Parts: sequence; structure tokens; C-alpha cells
Amino acid sequence: MDGEELTEQETALYDRQIRVWGVDAQRRLSKAHILVSGMKGTVVEFCKNIVLAGVGSLTLVDDRLVTEEALSANFLIPADESVYDGKSIAELCCDSLKDFNPMVRVSVERGDLTSFGGDFYNKFDVVVVSCCSLAAKKLINEKCRKLSKRVAFYTVDCRDSCGEIFVDLQNYAYSKKKLDETVECRLQYPSFEEAIAVPWRALPRKVSKLYFAMRVIERFEQVEGRNPGETSIADLPGVLKLRKELCEAHSLNESQIPDALLERLVTATREFPPVCAVIGGILGQEVIKAISCKGEPLKNFFFFDAMDGKGIIEDITKPVHLKPSSFGERGVISL
Amino acid sequence: MDRIEVSNLNRQFLFRLQDVGKPKAEVAAKRVMERVSGVNIVPHFCRIEDKDLDFYNDFSIIVLGLDSIEARSYINAVACSFLEYDSEENPQEETIKPMVDGGTEGFKGHARVIMPGVTPCFECTIWLFPPQVKFPLCTLAETPRTAAHCIEYAHLIKWDEVHSGKTFDPDDPEHMKWVYSEAVKRAELFGIPGVTYSLTQGVVKNIIPAIASTNAIISAACALETLKIASGCSKTLSNYLTYNGVEGLHTKVTEFARDKDCLVCGPGVLIELDTSVTLQKFIDLLEEHPKLLISKASVTHRGKSLYMQAPPVLEEMTRSNLSLPLFDIMDKTAKDIVHVTGTTINKGTKTSCLRKLRVVFKGIDGVTDMDTAGGA
Repeated sequence: MDGEELTEQETALYDRQIRVWGVDAQRRLSKAHILVSGMKGTVVEFCKNIVLAGVGSLTLVDDRLVTEEALSANFLIPADESVYDGKSIAELCCDSLKDFNPMVRVSVERGDLTSFGGDFYNKFDVVVVSCCSLAAKKLINEKCRKLSKRVAFYTVDCRDSCGEIFVDLQNYAYSKKKLDETVECRLQYPSFEEAIAVPWRALPRKVSKLYFAMRVIERFEQVEGRNPGETSIADLPGVLKLRKELCEAHSLNESQIPDALLERLVTATREFPPVCAVIGGILGQEVIKAISCKGEPLKNFFFFDAMDGKGIIEDITKPVHLKPSSFGERGVISL
Repeated sequence: MDRIEVSNLNRQFLFRLQDVGKPKAEVAAKRVMERVSGVNIVPHFCRIEDKDLDFYNDFSIIVLGLDSIEARSYINAVACSFLEYDSEENPQEETIKPMVDGGTEGFKGHARVIMPGVTPCFECTIWLFPPQVKFPLCTLAETPRTAAHCIEYAHLIKWDEVHSGKTFDPDDPEHMKWVYSEAVKRAELFGIPGVTYSLTQGVVKNIIPAIASTNAIISAACALETLKIASGCSKTLSNYLTYNGVEGLHTKVTEFARDKDCLVCGPGVLIELDTSVTLQKFIDLLEEHPKLLISKASVTHRGKSLYMQAPPVLEEMTRSNLSLPLFDIMDKTAKDIVHVTGTTINKGTKTSCLRKLRVVFKGIDGVTDMDTAGGA
């Protein structure tokens, strides 16, 4: 075990949570280094939760400047414009987060995450990306996987009043309480690229429609060269056309991805604070679990829809054996 | 009525180290108003029982982040007391006071929407709560088996034996250390492991473990439902959400049904009276009534205080009503709703309570004697 004891100050501040996850987990948290990119409402909630929990350090990446839209869902940006002073959103959030827990080292990194190399990513134990293009998600995930130490990778995105979390813990061992004894378990996670390449037809029929809807819009943004989240109602015809193509390629019935759902996700660009808090809360707890290696982590997608308040976990992993009937049908199957 | 403590800071992020000791309501209001322009928050640093019914009736929605069953029970009774039923025993929509309630403990939490008369109220589903942990005295005194037994022995039995007269103060570190050392001695005597100072504090102060992430999820669910009710933009959660992150991640929404006979959100306990019955006699009746057992009752009718037990000024002002017939001071209406507040014994402990009563006066024109079988 790591030698250092918690200070008296840490023990007093973290008393209520040490009673939940124990002193060892708290020590591991205090040595963890987290990288976060894309400071929108959900990520801001996530940062608040892990800073309060007492992680070792948190590095923020987001060079954008403050907009009125950002203010509507990012509670870390102060209301007083006079302090903005040309600072980026990441810099403003950094100042606020330091206030929440002075014991956590919060800092800012400028630049394009996709251009940083293995040396950079090696500094972290956890990487969380949001408002990230499909290409960037795959690239950053790969950089994490290439390292010899395990770096946990998460993506998180909210559209309208829905949210999606993706988790990649690679080859992961953890302990779980079963009745009175502690059991050692092991899970194997696919990368983001591997997960989304699973043929849609191979997935169970009850799979959340949100999974498909998110993939359609993600692909639309890639094809149209849009920044993540930059869609509007005017794009709906184009999105529906892409849905048709993708469903044909995957031999999936178009009704599995309802028009109404796509319209919701494409139209609303403003975030909804309570949804950000739910997703940010769940993501916060997942990251805490991954750092402490205690408790069963989510595998590997989580969906939330505020309309019905339901949270759904989907395990989207390449099946070991493909059913023979999946071959010989029209369309391209990429694995 | 709470003040900020250091142990709050790991999750109550509206507070900072320099706010320790200040009233929570005041600091929270100030911080939120600093960040969100156009919102108006009025803090009230007091107990929930200190406000009268009119205060609560002013609000469109009541949202709860309370820390005990008793407190929730009380506010639930307040909100349900505004509910009125029409002649067909249907709730009257304009009297429905919606409530949103949330609570957490470690990795578990719940959020629920209560529409009095439509969805189950807090009392309708009180069976959801597991019985509160209370160790039998003989276990503590003779046959302890767990570390908690040893601690409670020191706290509830040994303390009085040694410090007769002096009250135990859970916030005094010297008192806590004494209980801890006595608990250790007892544990050694019986060969029971696990007594730590941290556990001693937890058992004696009934500390609830808490983390920021669970709170974020549950408070967000509550905020979401409150926004839906206020704006009418979508149908609300129907009606009880549970979250459990103990093993993996589990959420569920259950639609519970109302208890038709609920004493709190139902049409009110029926009380039949002769027109000659005085207010004093009525108050005495409440103490004996098997469904109520309310002592030291204060009575209000349509917002007017008929008799108030406290404060002394109000007691003096309303004392003269005690000798008057209730029928007269209720404006001679044949039947109407009154609200009574007082104390009742619930599972051995005295708790504040509020009840809605349907008072019907016998022998008045248009009202025939009701079948007592269907009444009180």
C-alpha cells in the first residue's frame, strides 16, 4: 500500500465520504491525475464532484471564450463579466474549482489535444473528453491504449435533455463485495472504435434508441465537417437521409431510430442543467470507482433521458462468434 | 435551522471553509444569487415547525432536502392539509400543493413527486422505510455482540451511571473520547472487535455517510421534476425514483399507489359533534380519539386561529374561545375542515404532528345523522 497517511485536515474534510469508501480509496484518490476536455455543463458538474472528492490533480482543456450560452449551464463561470479579461472558459473554471477544494491542484492546458503525444497522456490516470469529434475521440482513445500504464478513457455528451457516457477501462481488475466476502473480478473493455463498429443488427432488439441516434448525429457531424454540437433543425432532412443510409448498411429497421428523437437531439443546442448534474454525478462516481478499483464499474455505455428519468446501461461489445446468417446480406459490415 | 460544519464541505459546494458556523440558508441564498441574475431567494434560519400554515400555502411547489422521517412527515402533513375534496370525493385541483422530495445515504438515494390526493403522500408509503435501529436494552446491558452495542452501552447506560445529572454532549470531544474509551473496555471484556473512534462518533451522532456524486444525481432529479411542474413542459416522474450505486449502477422508477384510507392525504378524519360541544371539550376529545391521540392541540379554521397553545401572547388572546361552542366559532357552518397541530407518540417518541379533520355538526338542516360505522 502507498505509505503516506491522510493529513488531519483531509480526515476532517473527507470524514463523510471516508465512511462510504474507506481510507485506502481516499488515499488512492489523492494521488490520481485527471485530464478533462470540453468544459460544458456536464463536464463542469463532473469536475465539481471529483474536486470535492479530493483527487490529486485536475487538468482542464478548453480554449473557447465565454458566450451567453455557456453561462446558462456552466455554474463555474462567474456572473461578473469584469473578471473575464480575455480568459478562456478553462481558465475561468480553474479559478472557481480551486475555491471548491484548495487541496486539489487544478491547472489549464492550452492547445489541440489530438496533437499531444504519449508523453503527455502518460501523466494522467483518467482522461475524460466531451464535445469531441468522432475522429478525435478515436485518436485520443488510441493514445491512451498505447501506453504501458492503464489510462482510463471516458467520453460524455449531452444533447437536448439526453446524455451518453462511454467507458473504456481496457483490461480491468477490481474487488467486489459478495455477501460477507470480497471477490476479485476482471473485465475486458473494447475501445470506442471497436464498440461502435459492432454491427447494429448484432445488438439485442431492446438496445436503447439513444445509442443509434447518437451514432447517426455523430457521423453526420463528421461527414459535414461540423464542430461537435453544431447542428440545428435545418439539418434534420440531412440527418434523416444519413439515418436511412446507415440503417440500410446495418440492415436495421429505420423505425428503431425515431424521427422525433433525432429532431430533439439535433434542434436543442442549449444544455439542461439538471441533466448535466445527473450525468456529471454518475460519471464522477464511475471515475472514483476506477481510481479506487473498488466497486463494479459501468460497462460500457450509459444513457439517460430526462423525459422519463430512466438510466440505461448497454454493453456494446464485439460478440465472440457472429451468427452465420449475418453474412451474405447486402451492405457493408465493418468490424 | 442548521449551521455549516467542516464535514459538510465535501459535498455542500455552496459553502467554503470561511463559512463554517454561519447559517446554511443565508450562505446558500447569497451564493446562488451572486451567480444567477434575476433569481430571488429569501433565507429563513429557523425550524420548519416555526412557520405557520399560511406561510407554506403561499408557495406553488414545496421541495424537500430534509434529514429525517419526522421532518418529512411534518411537511407532508402541511402540504396535504391544503387539499380539499369535492362532493364526489375527488381532490380539487386548485388545492393540490405539489411536493418534490429527495434523500441520500452513501451510494443510495431517492427522488419522488407527491401530488396530494393523486399520488401517494409520504404517510401512504411510510412502510417503505426499514424500522429504525434501536437496540434492546437487555442486549446493551447483558449480551452485546457488535461494536455498536458496546458503544451504545457506554453512551446510553454507563454515562448516566458515572455522570449522573450531566447531559452527554455529542459535540464535546472530551465526552466523545470518554464514551470511546468505555466502549473499548467493554469490547475487550466481551472479545468484540471493531470499536474505533470514528465508529463511536458515527453511532452516537447517527452520522449518515455522504458523497457529492450521489447528491448531484438526486438533487438534479428533484430539480428536473420541479422545473417540469413549474413549466408544465413534460409529464412528471411517476412517482418514485431510486438510485443504487453500491454494486454497479442501478436506477428504477416505481409507480406506487395511494392509500385510500390515508389519514393525512385523505379527506380528513371525520369527527361528529353536537353543536353544544365547546372548543375545550373538542381539544380534550382529540387526545382520546384512537386515530389521532394528539395532546396540546392548537386549532385553526380557514386560516383563523381558534386556539393556540403557544406563544404566550397568542395563547392569551385565544384563551377565551375555549369556553365557546365550536359550532359558533366556526361561523355556524354545518360541516367544514379544521386543522390541528400538537404532539403525538409515534413508536415511543414524541413528535409534532398536523392533522386535517372533517368536522360535522349533528342535527343541522340538510345534514342527517351520519352512520357512525362509516365515521370516526
